[in-house]
Amino acid sequence: MSHHERVQEELEALEAILMDDISISYNEIGCAELVKSTIFPSTANEVEKQYVCVTLEVKLPENYPDCKPVVKLKSPRGLDDSTIDHLYREINKKCDEFLGQPVIFELIDLIRENLTESNLPTCQCAVCLYGFSEGDSFTKTQCFHYFHNYCLANHLIITSKHFNEEQDKLPAWKRSPEGFRATCPVCRELINCDVDELKTAMPPKDLENAQKFEVTHELKLLQQEMQQLFNYQKSRGGIIDIEAEENKLLLITNSNEDSAADNSGDPGTSLSNTISSSSVSDGVQNRNQRHYSNYSSHR
Amino acid sequence: MAALPRRIIKETQRLMQEPVPGISAVPDDSNARYFHVIVTGPEDSPFEGGLFKLELFLPEDYPMSAPKVRFITKIYHPNIDRLGRICLDILKDKWSPALQIRTVLLSIQALLSAPNPDDPLANDVAELWKVNESEAIRNAKEWTRRYAMDN
Ligand SMILES: [Zn+2]
Ligand SMILES: [Zn+2]
Repeated sequence: MSHHERVQEELEALEAILMDDISISYNEIGCAELVKSTIFPSTANEVEKQYVCVTLEVKLPENYPDCKPVVKLKSPRGLDDSTIDHLYREINKKCDEFLGQPVIFELIDLIRENLTESNLPTCQCAVCLYGFSEGDSFTKTQCFHYFHNYCLANHLIITSKHFNEEQDKLPAWKRSPEGFRATCPVCRELINCDVDELKTAMPPKDLENAQKFEVTHELKLLQQEMQQLFNYQKSRGGIIDIEAEENKLLLITNSNEDSAADNSGDPGTSLSNTISSSSVSDGVQNRNQRHYSNYSSHR
Repeated sequence: MAALPRRIIKETQRLMQEPVPGISAVPDDSNARYFHVIVTGPEDSPFEGGLFKLELFLPEDYPMSAPKVRFITKIYHPNIDRLGRICLDILKDKWSPALQIRTVLLSIQALLSAPNPDDPLANDVAELWKVNESEAIRNAKEWTRRYAMDN
C-alpha cells in the first residue's frame, strides 16, 4: 500500500467512528494535511457534566506515519498549563510508540481518557483568580469558561446595574429593545444564567480575606525609586498640576459656554459635569486622585 | 485598613514576582489599593525613552468596576487629556472583571504605540495629529524629552 492509501484508510476509519466530530483538510493534490477534533471527557453523553475540552490538531507530514505527525492542542477549556504540559508529554510518548502505524485515534483516545480523569476545571476563576475547591459551586458557561457562582452573580448584578443606568440616560428611542443581556467576563459571548439562583451561592473558600498585605524591603526600594523619578520630573515641570489644569478648563468653559463640548472633556460626560463633579464617579475619582497626588508629592 | 480582597493581594504578588517588561506597579505604603506606576515609552514610538508616571486606584468594588488610572507625567497624546485622563474603552464600558491591573497597563502601553486621533480626548492634540502628523510626533517627542526623562 502506498503512503497515500495507508493514510486514507486511517482517515476513513476515523470518519466512520467520529463522524461530525472530526474535520480533515486536504491540500491541492488531494492529500490529507490537517486533522482536527475537539475532544470532551466521556460522560455518557451528559453534555452538562463535561467541564473540560480541548481541540486536537494533527498535521500530517508527507511521509506519515513513517514520520511523526506535528500535534497541537488548541483552545483548552477548564485546563491549566500543567495539565496541558502533561498531555503533550503523553502525546509525544504515544507518537514515538506508534511510529510507522496509524496514531490519530490513539491520540484522541489518550486525550479523552485524561480529560475524563480530570473532569473538574483546573483553571482559575477569572473573576477572583482562585481555583475551584471541593464544595465550591461553580458554573460552566456555554463558551466553556468557569466561574464560581458567587463571582459570576456579582459580575452579572453589577453589569446589569451599569447597563440600566446607561439606558436611563438615553432617550426612549435609543434604548436597547432586548434589555440587559448577560455576557461572559472572559470572551463576552452571550450566556444564559439565572442570577437569582447564582447569588444564593456561598463565596468560594479561598476568597475569604485572610492574608494581610505586607510591605517588603524590595517594595520599599521600588517605592523610593518611583518617588525619586517623581521628584525629578516635578523639578522639570513634567508633572501635571491638576488644579491649575482644571482652572484653565473652567475659564474656557465660562468664556465659551455653548461650545463646551468642543473642548477636551471626558468623552462620556460633558465638560461642565466633570468640573462641577456632579457626575459622581468622576468627581470621586478626581478627589481620590488629587488626594493621593498631594500625598505623594508632600511625602 | 480594611482587609484586602485576596484577588488584589494575588495580583500584587504576581506583579512583583513576574513583572511585565516596561511596566512597574507598586502599591502605596498606606493604601494597598493605590498603585504607583511607571510605564516605559514603547520602542519606535514618539514616547520612546520616556518614563511615564501614572497612578492607579482600585475602587471598592474592584474587580467588578474598572481601576481608575491617570497619567501623572505630562504627555502629548491624542487620547490623553491635560489632566492625564485616558480615553480607553476597557477603562469604561468595555471593562470586564477578567481583566487585571497588568492587562490594563499593557493596554495603556499599547495606546502609546498606536495613538488614535479619531477617538480623541485631547482635542487640540488630536486635531494636529490628523492635519500634520509629523509635527504632532515632533511635539510628542519633545514633551517626552522635556518631561518624562529620568535623572
Ligand atoms: Zn471566583
Ligand atoms: Zn466565555
